[in-house]
Amino acid sequence: MLTRYLLAGLVLTGAARADARAARPAAEPPVTFEQHVRPILKAYCLDCHGGREKAPGGLDLRLRRFALTGGVTGPGFVAKDPGKSLLVQRMKSGDMPPGEKKVPADQIAVIEKWIAAGAPVLRDEPAALPPGLGITAEERAYWFYQPLKRPAVPAGADPSARVRNPVDAFVLAKLREKNLDFNPDADRATLIRRATFDLTGLPPTQKEIDAYVNDTTADAYEKVLDRLLASPHYGERWGRHWLDAAGYADSDGDGNADTVRPHAWRYRDYVIRALNADKPLNRFVVEQLAGDELVPRPWTNLKPEQVELLAATGFLRAAPDGTTTGATDAEQVVTDVLKVVSSSLLGSSVGCAQCHDHRYDPIPQRDYYELRAVFEPALDPGKWRKPGERLVSLYTDADRAKAAAVSAEADKMQVALSAKQTAAVRAAFEKELEKFPAPERDALKAAFDAPDAKRTAEQKKLVASNPKLNVTPGTLYQYNQKVADELKAEQAKIAAKRAERPPEGFVAVTAEVPGRVPETKLYHRGDARQPKGAALVPADLTVAAPEGKRFEASAKAAPDQSTGRRLAWAEHLTTGEHPLFGRVLANRIWMHHFGRGIVDTPGEFGKLGQLPTHPELLDWLATELPKRGWSLKQFHKLLMTSTTYRQSSARDATKDTADRGNALYGRYAVRRLEAEAVRDRMLAAAGRLDPTAFGPPVPVAEGALGDTDAPDDKPRRSVYLQVRRTKPVAFLSAFDAPALEPNCDRRNSTTTAPQSLVLLNGDFVRKQAGHLAARVRTEAKPGAAPEKLAETAWRLAYLRAPSADEVKLGAAFIAAQTAAHRSKAKDAELAALTNLCQQLLASNEFLYVD
Amino acid sequence: MSINPLATRRSFLAHTSAGVGFYALAHLLHRDGLLAADGPSKPGENLPASLAPRQPHFAPKAKAMISLFMHGGPSHVDLFDPKPELTKNSGKEYAGNVQYSFVNRASKKLFGSPWKFAKHGKCGTEISELLPHTAGVVDDIAVIRSMHTGANGHEVSIRYFHGGIAGITGRPTMGSWIAYGLGSEAQNLPAYMVLSDPAGPPVDAAHNWNCGFLPPLYQGTVLRPKEPRILNLDPPADVAPDVQRQNLDLLAELNRRHLAGRPGEADLEARIASYELAAAMQTAAKDALDVTREPERVRAMYGLDRPETREYGTRCLIARRLVERGVRFVQIFLANQPWDNHTTIKDGLPAICKRTDQPAAALVKDLKQRGLLDSTLVHWGGEIGRLPVCEGELNAQAGRDHNGQGFTCWLAGGGIKPGITYGETDEVGHKAAVNVVTPNDFQATVLHLLGLDHTKLVYHHNGRAQRLTDGRPARVVTDVLA
Repeated sequence: MLTRYLLAGLVLTGAARADARAARPAAEPPVTFEQHVRPILKAYCLDCHGGREKAPGGLDLRLRRFALTGGVTGPGFVAKDPGKSLLVQRMKSGDMPPGEKKVPADQIAVIEKWIAAGAPVLRDEPAALPPGLGITAEERAYWFYQPLKRPAVPAGADPSARVRNPVDAFVLAKLREKNLDFNPDADRATLIRRATFDLTGLPPTQKEIDAYVNDTTADAYEKVLDRLLASPHYGERWGRHWLDAAGYADSDGDGNADTVRPHAWRYRDYVIRALNADKPLNRFVVEQLAGDELVPRPWTNLKPEQVELLAATGFLRAAPDGTTTGATDAEQVVTDVLKVVSSSLLGSSVGCAQCHDHRYDPIPQRDYYELRAVFEPALDPGKWRKPGERLVSLYTDADRAKAAAVSAEADKMQVALSAKQTAAVRAAFEKELEKFPAPERDALKAAFDAPDAKRTAEQKKLVASNPKLNVTPGTLYQYNQKVADELKAEQAKIAAKRAERPPEGFVAVTAEVPGRVPETKLYHRGDARQPKGAALVPADLTVAAPEGKRFEASAKAAPDQSTGRRLAWAEHLTTGEHPLFGRVLANRIWMHHFGRGIVDTPGEFGKLGQLPTHPELLDWLATELPKRGWSLKQFHKLLMTSTTYRQSSARDATKDTADRGNALYGRYAVRRLEAEAVRDRMLAAAGRLDPTAFGPPVPVAEGALGDTDAPDDKPRRSVYLQVRRTKPVAFLSAFDAPALEPNCDRRNSTTTAPQSLVLLNGDFVRKQAGHLAARVRTEAKPGAAPEKLAETAWRLAYLRAPSADEVKLGAAFIAAQTAAHRSKAKDAELAALTNLCQQLLASNEFLYVD
Repeated sequence: MSINPLATRRSFLAHTSAGVGFYALAHLLHRDGLLAADGPSKPGENLPASLAPRQPHFAPKAKAMISLFMHGGPSHVDLFDPKPELTKNSGKEYAGNVQYSFVNRASKKLFGSPWKFAKHGKCGTEISELLPHTAGVVDDIAVIRSMHTGANGHEVSIRYFHGGIAGITGRPTMGSWIAYGLGSEAQNLPAYMVLSDPAGPPVDAAHNWNCGFLPPLYQGTVLRPKEPRILNLDPPADVAPDVQRQNLDLLAELNRRHLAGRPGEADLEARIASYELAAAMQTAAKDALDVTREPERVRAMYGLDRPETREYGTRCLIARRLVERGVRFVQIFLANQPWDNHTTIKDGLPAICKRTDQPAAALVKDLKQRGLLDSTLVHWGGEIGRLPVCEGELNAQAGRDHNGQGFTCWLAGGGIKPGITYGETDEVGHKAAVNVVTPNDFQATVLHLLGLDHTKLVYHHNGRAQRLTDGRPARVVTDVLA
């Protein structure tokens, strides 16, 4: 009873701390063992003094009374006398902890303060303690681990129509605390640009802008959103976001070799298709974690939807895997897969618990290995399968039969051809033989007919001295051109026949070997060579469920198929009640719409991450998602129809003073386009974007100057360019496309001089400027005046009409440069126009969205 | 239409409130309004992602570092670590335990160095006849003969030296940590630069200059091994310099108008300034990389006049020109592990010595002549050394296998005690025996010389306070400090 009361109190404190970090309470609360001292001891001491079976010096520091009892050198502390307390003395002298890492002075001061106050505890300590560090009530009380409850929407204190939906109610409530308000709505042209880039990563067309600006119906904006959500480009944009979290690449990342993953693209296509189809997000996650467990074996004659399920498990194959060339070992791959899974789905860095109990978050080492046990049978480092051994053929029985029939027929043709060839060679030989005097012929014939090994010395001599008679298939043409040509033509026919075999596709799958269930054991200090203790049960993190309710992923599938561990865990994650998964997912979607997360460390919600700016809103969103059938498209619409989203991005000094980082959303944030969107927008402006979707990636190669790029004749969307870990596309990495080590929770948006050099001097931009210039000339009609050219360039690049002033600026530039180029360039006007277009492409208006 | 670049730069400086470096433009305004702008305010927060110069933890001895990384494992017993016992017993069976990499060619036959050692300089440090130029600068260098990684593999030990943990990739390299801790002094050059070998990338390729979990602006900028050494530095072929100026002016005007409607957007202002700096860099970087501007005497000192030293000498000379201009950390890499002399060491070792000896020594001499050696730390060393026993038969084709148990590196300048040797291997040179120095000790010492405490240079990531030395035992080797 007492515990429950306490927990409730702590939750409130946690939440309150989130919004008012600066405002410290006037009177400091008492320092207690549970709240203040144990976290320090956990970070620096408990690894040895409590976490081990045998504490060194007999000193166990897990409880106040254990610490008081102390070890062989005496009591750990003397209440009210920090100076005489061994704990403080040893920390201050630097004797403890051993090694490099020492307790910082400010934290020792906390312990001194606690001892001086008589070493108080919050509540009675338990009579007995099971081995290990366990999880304390204080640790459990951290906001992130609280069950998901749907908070009440703040009452409508705002009579104006600014609160369009509950999102606005939560956001405005916080703004009002600082006497702030939303900005007015952005104008329509701005809003459609914002929404179009946001949902498709591409610019709107002029027609689309005009239609929306002139649409007087009440639901004009909603119609725009519906159109964008139905666009096939939507999945390419939002799929790219998810591919970051998954760490998708088309290569293994094994050192210099960086072996290409020829089949990884099927996972990329799966993601894009799933999002375009608005596959419910719970299902989307289940398929990626356990799609293989949803397809009954044997995996032959797979239906397209079954191939999709298998391709979905590419999520667990995205991490670097250097085992093909031996650059890294299987254990490293397992570590990386768990990192991808935990940062993308659990918002927790479980990796720390690989070697010891997590020092800041309540994730015991045992939890790490129990979570690992969910994946152990599929990854199975003990009987590792390299990437090439994890492929499933997409051949159907019909394909196989066809292939066999083709081969049989081709073989038959080959046999016939060989016979014909042998005969032709023999005929040529006979004919050549006739040129010799008759008496010599028999001996010669016998010599050439004898197998090499059985020739007598004399025969060998005969053969060597009469090379003319050495007719072979390769030299046949010198004796009989016609028959050689015929044979060649027939050989080509056979090759054509063989090419009729249906191409064999493969899908890279994460799956178990039926019947094989490897044990998972805890590794001492994370060292795979030192497994210890009993085999562990696959389970979710302890702290993700209320005390005693921990989820164990017990077998679900038929044992001759798969253990079903991943399926069980995935279904548990997506019940709509998982506190970690729900918040992490809602936060990730929010982040992509607004440029920052409600928790702005989207892969780390624990103690070392940041606190949520709007905890209630986050919980409301996390509960709203399942209510809407896990429809991501509906969720987009919810967020994008809010005033929070629709307001303008104008800054004002008052807001900047109160909320410099715009954590309260008093304006929409001006944002630079992501790398892919910059490249795609340039191709779109140049009128060259190839909208072909799906399939093997466009190969990238190092150009003459050493920067990796795709060939200019394949101007497809950036999401379809090959992702080589060691050879990133230079243009994309300049604009912060992530290096995947192993995945990326959140991209940076930097402003660097190399970006400027790429925009000023880079080949890609220069080429697109040339294409855009040609397009401008075509659209402006031949012989157009500089003013007309400038106006057209502005419209095509910026999707708006230029002001009179801008027309003047552009026209003056074109006229001046055309005159200057006249003597040098073949087409002086085109050269001038190309320069103008390049500056438009390189300008801030092109790179940023309001 | 033209804008005043100085005015633009000044307004940019006002916004960053610090000196500005090349990559300082990458400085994102700290996005989180809840946090203090200039530093971490609670455990778990990091220094802002910026390359503005930062105060070191204490007064530094060195301001910059040049590392000549010698891939493959230079044979210390043939170069820096004379072993009379080994010479005396050459051809005899070794009684101790040997850790081999290539067991199929393992031999216990001791292989005395075919090369002679002699004392050099005032300090009398013994150096092999293979390194006559290095022998000429012994009074300026500290030879550490007790390096130890404990692992024989190349990758394992390379990663230990760069990232702080043996065998693990994906961690920030030492250069990234230094750039993170100190920022940049360079006005229009990257803080951390890598000079790669024309013959190809080193073992582990981009992992050697990866920023790992640190923000990408701390990643090493790779200078290409041939011209153009920096991509996109030159205007497109059809754009003459005066046209480029007109283009830049138009671009500045477009951006100025755009910004006028969005006052206070620092990102937009930073990008305007970045164009001006990019333009400035077109000249500055070209100048830094153009070794033809050096007098004949200097070029000859680095061996630019001879084919066998020209390539490596050029890179050493570029390295000096870079630190001269404020670049913080320069590392020179080799392709194809030329020091990995498994077979025919009698040919392979002299060849790589000829290629690198003179340029490396010239770097020390040149820095000293310019008064830059005091503030520039120079490092010469590989990831491992080689075994005292032979690999394969003890004949003309004999080589030596890997040895991570004991090997040599040298340091010079930047607060290093000159003209000393430190540490010892056992009597045949297999294992470090006295004053063992691990890569973590090496890192702690390097950071110390640069004014950084390796325990305090922290980046919070993945739920942990990360350090270059990763909380492992690491000591500053005070005996080699001046």
